[in-house]
Amino acid sequence: MRISKKVEALAPSGIRAFFDLVLGMKDVISLGVGEPDFVTPWHVRERAIQSLEGGFTSYTSNKGMIELRREITDFLKKRYGLSYDCEEETLITVGVSEALDLAMRAILNPGEKILIPEPSYVAYGPVVELAGGKPVFLPTSVETGFKVTPTQIEKAITKGVKGILLGYPSNPSGASYTRKELEALAKVVKKHNLIVISDELYDELTYDFEHTPFATLPDMKDRVVYLNGFSKTYAMTGFRIGYVCGPEDIIGAMTKIHQYTILCAPITGQMAAIDALKNGSRDIAVMKKEYQRRRDFMVEALNRIGLKCHMPQGAFYVFPSVKSTGESSMDFAKNLLEQQKVALVPGVAFGRACKDHVRISYASSYENLEEAIDRIQTYLKKRKGGLS
Amino acid sequence: MRKTIVNTTAAVRALIEVSITPQQDVGFDNIAQRIYDFPEVKSCYLVSGRYDLLVIVEGNDIQMVADFVAAKLSSMPNVRQTATHFLLKKYKEEGQILKQPKSEKRQNISY
Repeated sequence: MRISKKVEALAPSGIRAFFDLVLGMKDVISLGVGEPDFVTPWHVRERAIQSLEGGFTSYTSNKGMIELRREITDFLKKRYGLSYDCEEETLITVGVSEALDLAMRAILNPGEKILIPEPSYVAYGPVVELAGGKPVFLPTSVETGFKVTPTQIEKAITKGVKGILLGYPSNPSGASYTRKELEALAKVVKKHNLIVISDELYDELTYDFEHTPFATLPDMKDRVVYLNGFSKTYAMTGFRIGYVCGPEDIIGAMTKIHQYTILCAPITGQMAAIDALKNGSRDIAVMKKEYQRRRDFMVEALNRIGLKCHMPQGAFYVFPSVKSTGESSMDFAKNLLEQQKVALVPGVAFGRACKDHVRISYASSYENLEEAIDRIQTYLKKRKGGLS
Repeated sequence: MRKTIVNTTAAVRALIEVSITPQQDVGFDNIAQRIYDFPEVKSCYLVSGRYDLLVIVEGNDIQMVADFVAAKLSSMPNVRQTATHFLLKKYKEEGQILKQPKSEKRQNISY
């Protein structure tokens, strides 16, 4: 067998065929996109262009440019009162995806377990498995707003549980945690000596309360691996710049892997990221305001047309239930695509616990969202009338 | 020969620069009033610079605006010269950036 058993055993992305179907179809209104519809702010793009014109085309230090690391630690200090050393506790990665992979490879021994609340970002389970670990999924539901509870974590603690991988605000559910909720989780984390890999990529897109980084909670900083990046906040997905801050030993271990496998994140993206941090606060505010307007519209509209949808607190996704249609999320997504040319992502992509839900991205123009709602409503009416 | 194509089915708007010989005592005001009283004139401004009045005119088609300039505006006493600029495309108006067809650069679906 040519392919390693570990890779062979990885759960195939069950919805790959569905993705291919969407990618092959024209004139689709897509609410299936996991990236901002805004273009990177011009001043950031301009900085990238200038860096190329200036001949900055070389490698950078393995950990990333010190200017960028310093901007990041200054920003975290100012924004959240979170102090990290830019020399020893910060690493620039190729998006948060790389940071996630490095974190798992750096901390896991074969068979050790990582708790993952579901629904979860699609890569969470696979990166744990690829690192030789075992993901333990904790299914959540709309009853808790798709949030994991301290009791759930407590119950899941068995021998070999090394940590918990928490993503908030969540892709796909949009759920996020208040400081109080996080404090309750932190107590269990401390009690069982867990490492928290905290993916806070959507932190700036938190609408109803202030985002709290897990590392700012009492006694947590030394056990938290803080992941963040520029993709969502600054609409810079294609630049592929993420970062990780955490305890020196873990960052050191991650850097070891990073220097052999990646060497460094691309310099053009790093230089653009410096500008984003220095001059991007106004851009964030404008985009956030527009996302919130769309979120409010989508939640109201989906509930009005008969798809039950809770109010997510962050990111740019809503996660309504399609149970009322009697269809599985996959069938609903396929039929809606074929009959009304609206694309969304079936919940099964994000865990077995989400088979009744679909992820709808509102990183799309308001006009597109209105049109998509009309089409979904038409689909539901036809279905109800037995026409489909 | 290069030809400018204008969609004549839509309402046509033109900016007209008007040079005027001012009248004694009243300056530009009287002649300006005679111009802005025409219903075709949507806006009329006295401006500094190479010409005197900036007049914005709307019509159903180019011919209508051209007739207005030739028959009504240019023939007025004290109007020395006009230069008519037809609007070809609107990018921004009243602070609003007007919608341009946007090419989608993202993949239709992604995680």
